[in-house]
Amino acid sequence: MEIPEKVRFLSDLVKETYTLKPNRVVLEINRDNVRKALELLLENLGDTGFYLAVIVGTDYPDKNKIRLDYYVVMHPDKEVYIFRTWLPRDDPRISSVVDILPAALSGECETHDLLGVVFEGNPYLKRGFFVPPDVYEKGIYPLRKDVKV
Amino acid sequence: MGKEKLVGYSPWIAHFNTGACNGCDIEVLAAIAPHYDPERFGVKLAPSIRHADILVVTGAVTKKAGERLKRLYEQMPSPKFVIAVGACACSGGVFHDTYSVLAGADKVVPVDMYVPGCPPRPEAILDAIVALVMKLRKGGGNGNS
Amino acid sequence: MTVTKVVEIPVTLEIPIGPQHPALHEPLMLKVYADGEEVIKVDINTGYNHRGIEKLCERNSFYRNIFICGRVCGICNTVHADCYVRAVEYLMDIDPPRRAKYLRVLAMELERIHSHLIINAIMAEILGFDTLFMYIMRDREKIMKAKEILTGNRVLADYMMIGGVRRDIDSIKKDRILKIVNNIEKEIKRYLKVFETDDTITKRLMGVGVIKPSDITKHGLLGPTARGSGIKIDARMGDKYDAYDEVPFNVIVRKEMDSWARMMVRWEETLESVNICKYVLEHLPSDASAVPDERRLPRRFPPGESYARAEAPRGELTYYINSVGKQIPYRVKIRTPSFNNIINSGFSYIGYSIADVPVILTSYDPCISCMERAIVIDVKRGARKSVSLKQLAKGEI
Repeated sequence: MEIPEKVRFLSDLVKETYTLKPNRVVLEINRDNVRKALELLLENLGDTGFYLAVIVGTDYPDKNKIRLDYYVVMHPDKEVYIFRTWLPRDDPRISSVVDILPAALSGECETHDLLGVVFEGNPYLKRGFFVPPDVYEKGIYPLRKDVKV
Repeated sequence: MGKEKLVGYSPWIAHFNTGACNGCDIEVLAAIAPHYDPERFGVKLAPSIRHADILVVTGAVTKKAGERLKRLYEQMPSPKFVIAVGACACSGGVFHDTYSVLAGADKVVPVDMYVPGCPPRPEAILDAIVALVMKLRKGGGNGNS
Repeated sequence: MTVTKVVEIPVTLEIPIGPQHPALHEPLMLKVYADGEEVIKVDINTGYNHRGIEKLCERNSFYRNIFICGRVCGICNTVHADCYVRAVEYLMDIDPPRRAKYLRVLAMELERIHSHLIINAIMAEILGFDTLFMYIMRDREKIMKAKEILTGNRVLADYMMIGGVRRDIDSIKKDRILKIVNNIEKEIKRYLKVFETDDTITKRLMGVGVIKPSDITKHGLLGPTARGSGIKIDARMGDKYDAYDEVPFNVIVRKEMDSWARMMVRWEETLESVNICKYVLEHLPSDASAVPDERRLPRRFPPGESYARAEAPRGELTYYINSVGKQIPYRVKIRTPSFNNIINSGFSYIGYSIADVPVILTSYDPCISCMERAIVIDVKRGARKSVSLKQLAKGEI
């Protein structure tokens, strides 16, 4: 699928584009380019041109990967773009974007506590943000599929 | 025995939310609003737990909230009574088999009245309070004084 | 600046995050560091009472999850159920009949009215205006009656089903609901005037908690919080889901950027909701039965993913569903508006006084239980004192 006009400036970074029901556009990006993509978005669309809606992490133990989706909503037209990236399951690190987009604070802290993704550069990450001590002391990330909780 | 009878004339209520969806909480709030007029029974919201006679518990009691509930119950002066409002406080409700939930308030504190419902109507909550109050006025206690 | 007072405010929220509830020794919410009266730092600690809903959804069938997701929040439960059901419908390419869509909109708008009434009542109570709290709660009971006529229950409607709704209305019920809605319109206009002109309210709300539009989008704040600062975002307008493509309505935006603007946005939205309810009741289509046949409900869920959003009273609510072809979903992600509004808004308290903190917090519309008590720690004297949020707002520490 072709990259929509509005985000054509990202075409160098995007590996693949497809739709997610009902009409959301997914842009697959390498994990090293996610921060650059969001920076380009800020440059081209401005502070009030979009907002970060949610960060969704999903565990795929059969593929040995963790998938991270950043849902970005454009303003004022409200189309939804999803920046999708895959992280290796035994080394789920990615650069944090909390300094350029403070809206990522809640999503990054939650994904860290529940799935174990490390957002490098985020000073607020800690275990126990949501998960109780008797679980995180065992080193368990509750939302992973191989965990028996 | 005489203490319960005195409490029955004007019981003050404390409300504690142990991890509820807030549905039961707004029905408890509605039950103390003027439409249902609990003040005709002498019932009003206590300014602090140390002035309360009846503890109204809502929510599926999560483990950490369970510890807080126990401490709150210990701070109440006797005679003291507990009403568990809602399916979650009675037995865990929809969440009874998540391991982070102690299913039901009676795992932590002795409960005198159970009000089932998801959420129970304000009339049902007032009915439970009135039934407890009538029992107290007749001199019945719960042996926990 | 040295810290002389630390205020810990526990607030229980309906955020459905994680398989367990988080555990701090007390469900701590805002930790406010103050120098004298002025706030210099706010830590948002998440100590909420959660019940592990996302993990619970992965163990239950798609149908059971409709009822579980409705119990994420009691105050906006129809919106949660509707967003979940629509995400499943997108997955399966099902389009419910128009009558069902109109009835869904009616249920959600009635809920918006009651949710806005309750937060405005709580705001009045926190400011010390107890009479107004009692008046608004009395009028709210009429809306609860309307909800009961429509869905069968006052609070937890359990009204949504894949392919439609679970109950229909006849002309008698329609007339009763219309009568209630017309009746409440004049009361709401009266309260709107009170909030515009009364000194108790305007002096405490105007100029408090000002947030600039660029801060709103950068921090991802949503709903009336964003619309009070001039950012016109509304999922009803963006996605035009259910019957919002046919029902006319306005998105209310104000420019003042303070707590007063946020409460006024809610009052004006309540009036808009009243108009939507009237339109829906007068133009209810009769194209097909709104209630799907229970014996013919779909049994197979194709693999795929979908993302649905809805405008809850507090802001944009999103559901992401991933199915791998089984009877249970692979992943359900729920992001409630309070998740963004409360956690990301720590910057907005700085520079205001401690007494303003409960007012600003209430203007973001978290679910505050009226008995929540805050702990005030006087750092110099090492004393701890427990005060209610109302006393904090009156400056009684």
